[in-house]
This record gives sequence, C-alpha cells and structure tokens, in this order.
Amino acid sequence: MSHDTYKDLMMGYLDGELTELEAQRVEQHLEGCAECREELESFRKLKEMTQPMRLAMPDDAYWERYWSSVYNRLERRAGWILLSIGLIAVTSYYVYQLAARLVLNPGVATPVRFGVAALIIGLCTLFVSVLRERIVLLRSDKYKRIRR
Amino acid sequence: MRPTDEASIIERCQKGDKEAFALIVKKYMKPAYYVALSYVGREDDALDLSQDAFVNAFRHLKRFDSTRSFFPWFYSILKNLCMNHLVRVRRHKEDSLDQMEEECGQVPIAIAAADPEAAMVSQDLREKVGAALARLKAKDREILILQHLQDLSYREIADLLGIPIGTVMSRLYAARHALRRELERMGVSN
Repeated sequence: MSHDTYKDLMMGYLDGELTELEAQRVEQHLEGCAECREELESFRKLKEMTQPMRLAMPDDAYWERYWSSVYNRLERRAGWILLSIGLIAVTSYYVYQLAARLVLNPGVATPVRFGVAALIIGLCTLFVSVLRERIVLLRSDKYKRIRR
Repeated sequence: MRPTDEASIIERCQKGDKEAFALIVKKYMKPAYYVALSYVGREDDALDLSQDAFVNAFRHLKRFDSTRSFFPWFYSILKNLCMNHLVRVRRHKEDSLDQMEEECGQVPIAIAAADPEAAMVSQDLREKVGAALARLKAKDREILILQHLQDLSYREIADLLGIPIGTVMSRLYAARHALRRELERMGVSN
C-alpha cells in the first residue's frame, strides 16, 4: 500500500470509519511513520476545533414551508407555459391575418409585400430552428457533462 | 426511506404525482441546501437555488433511471444551477467552470454552535472557520460541510455525492489539508 493511500485511510481512522483490519494496518503504518503521526495529530486537533460547530441553518419554520414553496414554483411554471402558448397562438393568428392582407393585396406596393413575406419567412425559420434545438436538448441529458 | 421505497416513489413522481415528489423533497431538502451553500455561500441564495433545482428535477424526472439513487443525479442539476448563478452574479463570463469552482467562495459560511454547551466556542473562532471555509475550493468546502459541520458518515456522503468511499477519504484529506493551511494563514493554530 502506498504512502498516499495511508494518508487517505488516515481520515477514516480519525473518523472511526475503518474496519478493524484497516485500522490495524493504519496503526502499523503510523508506528513507523513520524510524518503521518504528526499529520494525524494536527488533523485530530482540527477535528476537535470544529466538533462543536455546525452549519447555521434556516429556522424550522422555513423547512416547514420548503415543500409548499417548491410546489408553488412548479405550478407557476405550468402557468407560464400555458400563458406563453396562448400568447403565441393569438399573436400568430393576428400576424397571419395582417400579413395575408398585406401580401395578397395588389394595392400594396410590391417592395412592401416582398418585405412582409421575407419577414414572415425569416420569423418562421428562426422559430423552427429554435424549436429543433430545444427538442434536441430535451432528448439529451444536459446535466451529464457536469463532473462530480 | 429504503432504496426500494425510493425507487417506487420516483416512479410515481415520473407519472406526475406531486405528493410523491413532496416525500423526495422533504428527504433531500437539507443536503441540497448544504451543497448549494458550499457553492454560493449566501443562505438565501442557497435556499432559492436548491428549490429551483427540485423544480428542474421534477421537470426532467422522466429521463431519470429510477433504479439509481436520486441524489447524485439531482446533485448534477443543483451544481449546474449554482455555477450558472455564480456566472450571473459575478459576471466573470470569461472564466472557465474550473476557475469558478476554485474561486466561488467569497461569502463567509455562517457557523453556529452545535449545542448550548458548544456556544462557549468563541464567536471569533467560528467566524474565522467560516471565512477559511469560504476561501477553499467549492469541492473541498462541500466535503467539509458534509463531514465536519453536518457530521454525516462516509457512507452517507458517498451515497449523496455518488462517489466511492475511497474518494470520500481522499477528498477529505485534501480538504482538511487546505482548511488547516487557511486557518494557519489567519493566525489560528491548532
């Protein structure tokens, strides 16, 4: 077993997390290694120093409200999705009506008709592109690249 | 909650059962808070981000393999949110994620006494430990918060983070080493 492995095992020894056999091996190593003995002692003091300390936690009332807060966020998100779908549908309908009137109306100047047609085709292309990207993202796990 | 119970609860969640999801949230809300706090330092941000992570997890739960442990998967979501938050807050968009992880602890971690007896430990020492923790890499801070300040066993930490027990020990060694160095720099000798 390498010296570095013993350094890692020393943590388990300090925290009482090793099996009896592992603990015996560490003790044997410590007998012959002054560096590790010294290091173990300084880690023991560090542990003793932080033993009476705990992470400051929000009060109990907050933990009681925690789930309801998550639930509200879940509901709110569903509300936003529905609102967005509604807005897109209504806006699309009126944009289509307006565009059809302009593009199909021979009374409107040709450059304006071409401009409006290009605008609509551009918007549709962008929408399809974004939609395709979102679908690809939804199919893949975007969290898999995160290292632990 | 046994692993088999958790798997069946997750399956209910995957069908959209929010009451089942409440059980998962209540089980993991505190570890989620500790992890978020180890990244962002501020209590209110940690609470906010941990709740957002649960919302994201619920939305993506259909793609989760229910035979696996929930928290390591959830941890990835939470960590991603915390990193995005740090990018937004600090506006260091040119920094890589690695740099962000190394530098993110700027806000001293709030440390309390474990019990009334332990309140004898001076406020000054608690503040110094909180400030020293804030100066560590997020990875070191995270393992120290879970082991030193929440007193979780190695098995619990390994299950939470989805890492082997051997890795818990090696990360703990590196983290304790770094904490000791920071405390020495602040004039706290042990």
